[in-house]
Amino acid sequence: MPVVTLYFNRLQKLLGKKTSQEKIISTLPFIGLDIEEQTKDHISVEYSPNRPDYSTDYGIVSSLQGLLGIKTGMPKLKIKKGKYSIKVDPSVRKVRPFITSIVAKNGKLDNETIRQIIAMQEDLHNGIGRRRKKASIGIHDLDKIKFPLIYTTVNRGHKFIPLASSSEMSISEILQKTDVGAKYGNILGTSQKIPIILDSIGNTISFPPIINSNLTTVSKTTQNLLVEITAVDKNAAEDALSVVANTLQDAGFSIFSTKISGANNSTPSLNSRRMVLEVDLVNKILGLNLSTSTIIASLRKSRLDAISKGNKIICTIPRYRTDIFGTMDLVEEVALGYGIQNLEPTIPQSVSIGQKNKITKALDSMSTIMVGLGYFEVLNFGLLSKEVQYDLTKRDSSKMIFVDDSKSQGHTILRDSMLPGLIDTLSRNIHETYPQKLFETGVVFSKVSNEIREEIHLACVCAYNDVSFSEVKSILQSVFKTGFGLQCITQMTSTLMFSEGRTANIIMNNKTVGVIGEISPDVINNFKLRIPVAGFEVKLTGLIFD
Amino acid sequence: MSKVLHPIEHKIIKTLKETPNISHDELAKNAQLTIDQVRRGVEWLKYKNLVEVHESEVSFASLGENGKETAEKGLPERRLVNYLAKHKVCTFEGARIAVLEDEFNAAISNARQNGWIEITKGQTSNIITLKDNITNSPEEELLSILTNKIPVSEIKNKSAFESLTKRPNFILLDSIKTTVINLTQQGLDTPIPLTESHSTDAILVRAIDVEAPAPEVFAARSHPLQDVINEVREIFVSLGFAEISGNLTQSSFWNFDALFTPQDHPAREMQDTFYIKDTSASKIATPNQIAKVSESHKKGWHYNWKLEEAKRMVLRTHTTCVTIRHLADNNPDEARIFSVGRVFRNEKVSYKHLVEFNQVEGVVVGKNVTLRDLMGLQREFYYKMGLKKVKFWPTFFPYTEPSLQSMVYNEKLDKWVELFGMGIFRPEVTMPLGIRNPVLAWGGGIERIAMLKFALDDVRELYNNNLGWLRSVAKCP
Repeated sequence: MPVVTLYFNRLQKLLGKKTSQEKIISTLPFIGLDIEEQTKDHISVEYSPNRPDYSTDYGIVSSLQGLLGIKTGMPKLKIKKGKYSIKVDPSVRKVRPFITSIVAKNGKLDNETIRQIIAMQEDLHNGIGRRRKKASIGIHDLDKIKFPLIYTTVNRGHKFIPLASSSEMSISEILQKTDVGAKYGNILGTSQKIPIILDSIGNTISFPPIINSNLTTVSKTTQNLLVEITAVDKNAAEDALSVVANTLQDAGFSIFSTKISGANNSTPSLNSRRMVLEVDLVNKILGLNLSTSTIIASLRKSRLDAISKGNKIICTIPRYRTDIFGTMDLVEEVALGYGIQNLEPTIPQSVSIGQKNKITKALDSMSTIMVGLGYFEVLNFGLLSKEVQYDLTKRDSSKMIFVDDSKSQGHTILRDSMLPGLIDTLSRNIHETYPQKLFETGVVFSKVSNEIREEIHLACVCAYNDVSFSEVKSILQSVFKTGFGLQCITQMTSTLMFSEGRTANIIMNNKTVGVIGEISPDVINNFKLRIPVAGFEVKLTGLIFD
Repeated sequence: MSKVLHPIEHKIIKTLKETPNISHDELAKNAQLTIDQVRRGVEWLKYKNLVEVHESEVSFASLGENGKETAEKGLPERRLVNYLAKHKVCTFEGARIAVLEDEFNAAISNARQNGWIEITKGQTSNIITLKDNITNSPEEELLSILTNKIPVSEIKNKSAFESLTKRPNFILLDSIKTTVINLTQQGLDTPIPLTESHSTDAILVRAIDVEAPAPEVFAARSHPLQDVINEVREIFVSLGFAEISGNLTQSSFWNFDALFTPQDHPAREMQDTFYIKDTSASKIATPNQIAKVSESHKKGWHYNWKLEEAKRMVLRTHTTCVTIRHLADNNPDEARIFSVGRVFRNEKVSYKHLVEFNQVEGVVVGKNVTLRDLMGLQREFYYKMGLKKVKFWPTFFPYTEPSLQSMVYNEKLDKWVELFGMGIFRPEVTMPLGIRNPVLAWGGGIERIAMLKFALDDVRELYNNNLGWLRSVAKCP
């Protein structure tokens, strides 16, 4: 989850009312922020990606003001009519069809404000923008640009000086030689048409979604900004734009519209929405009996506008609150504005009777019996390595089930048997006293055509100098007789994991349900064990439960 | 210190009272014990401060090769006088034959020194006169003593010893380390039973050292994490919840789509979720369920929902897929159900992250259930786990609204710890699946609770199956 760093001195200035550091810290969790790190002068908080307005301290301050009662109601976004325009060429349709934009003027940037804005841009790229694939943002020095702009396409030979560079590069060079090019170039695929924003005298302004031009670099002395967002989804672009517009307004800029036209594009309105909320619904869900005026006050503390109309409340939601889908989201806003700490927990009435399911009960009994026979329960992963599961145990790997792109080498395939994991467990305990007797119950996987089948198995191993086939067979007989009244038969078989002549199939209810035997010296060697091992594995699904 | 003595210990004390200052071997012989019993018994008694063991080094003298030969044949001076007495010889020349040539001078000199002969000057040669009453010389006496090895300190005639030592290969010297065992004052004061009990009683109970350490055995047990899972189960059952279960492999439809997670959501990327290679679900849900869920996505997220994406098989990332499917298929108006089991995340394994862990989830369906009820159930659950202080903060989950997270106060760590998340299922989740009443849901990882219980700071320890830990960790810490 994304993290924002907040400096106390800035927070206190932005809040507009003297508020103690302790008060700020204790209020942050109640607007949904997790405190990650705290020092004398700053605090780092984690926010949920559904609240992109929390990507800067401006958005967080707005919510704090509400909950602390400093400012309530919806922050209004004032967009003045601007004389700026962007025309869209139909050639962008197949690569990145949408662009949206606003202009922010007469602001003052300092280092911290620039840092906050860049952090917001990154968070929006990763969240709403889906790592720039869905939408990407460019912020430019307005005064370097000659309007009108055109959003069009060029070929890969097109050249300009990209941000933080001193010489011209072609599109192909940018994609190969710059970090951002290498990271995001795949978004463009193999398209020969490359999206580009050019100004009226032909200067390249931006190469979305990769990099801005060096010409429009923003610095501390920049007073006027152009924000453009290109996207494959118009709604996502305007979601992101609304967050940027509100943030820049909070940072002291005046916001002006940019006229956008051509190829199904239009000037964004960024208007607020209205929603009707029923008082009864709020009280039913929260388990409270709040008056209409309390609900309205609570919504206003959550920085929404609300007025009453009979038994209903008309709610106004600013454009940047993209997390609000329906009335249930408004119920939550009431709860937050009212204060979660003011909700007293209650216990619901119920006459239901609790119970464990059949599988759990059977496995509990199985565990009790195995423990009674002197076996320790161990827990291994269902997702493990090919080495343990097949190579070292000399098992047939032709039906191996892989997962895609595992980040951990030890967890790449789904187990189809539990004995390999148990032998591996023994190999990690060679310094511990023998005898070692271990068992495990758990899910194993198999693939039938394209579908995965899951079954629950019991497996156990016994390791010490005098262990033998007959010892584990005694255990096998005892478990199933004592636990489930089942008789088992063993029939000679042969597999590489077990010693020849010392292994058998296990048959119960006339079905082969498992295998038993002494582990072959080769396998024992492979695991660097220096002690004989015997064990068995039985499929329980279909035997003692369905 | 225990005052109960083993019969071996009694025998040793008794023997040492009779004969102090003896070695292990002598002790074994006198006490009629094996050398091993004596060694062990002496160690026990030493530990109990009843005997002292002194080690010392003693030099021993015995006869060398020439010494042994001489002890049989006699010293050269003895052979000389014997010859003289037998053959009545009285000249040097006649006497030379009696001993070896190189012994002659020493024999004459020693015999004279011993007072056995007198030498006077004759006309042509010296004359030897044999004296009467020839006694044994000190050397001879020492030689006969030394046929047995004796400590050097026991040899009284030092000059005879010196004289023999000077002769080549006569005397062998070697030093031997000896241990001598003795009773301490405490040992001397220890009473000894007069006889080993020869009671006529049929059953004879001999006292033993009940304070001595006994060999370790290990009680087999269920896995500590499994114990915590079972405890959580018991609590849910006691609160009136029925257990449901489901597969670990699920279609994306139930793991994501049914929970209103859009198909381009970052959580669905391979970076976070395990997709299973070369598999696909054939029947994921009823046509009606698929149609309604797809519609909800188009309306809420404005994109083109794809069935193929919903068919991709994943290792479930939460147990909520089991819950939602149960609710969708059974459509209860009232229910209390829970589910516990493994879930998977494609993460790098570290001290705080595993790729596979256990999650528990509880759900209440009811016409009049509220957010406050959800908080109350939560508080009750923690109370039963022994966690008495709970508080709630707002949070975000894609499929619940409102959503809260619970913080519990951990006394051992003296801090608030984040535990279960909770919320009421969104209408965007419940409506398409025909679920009419509000659904309260909460859940979280069980490993976290186990770590608190067993004071672990590395989650991997729960799956290391380290037998040393499994054999020693308390079942009820």
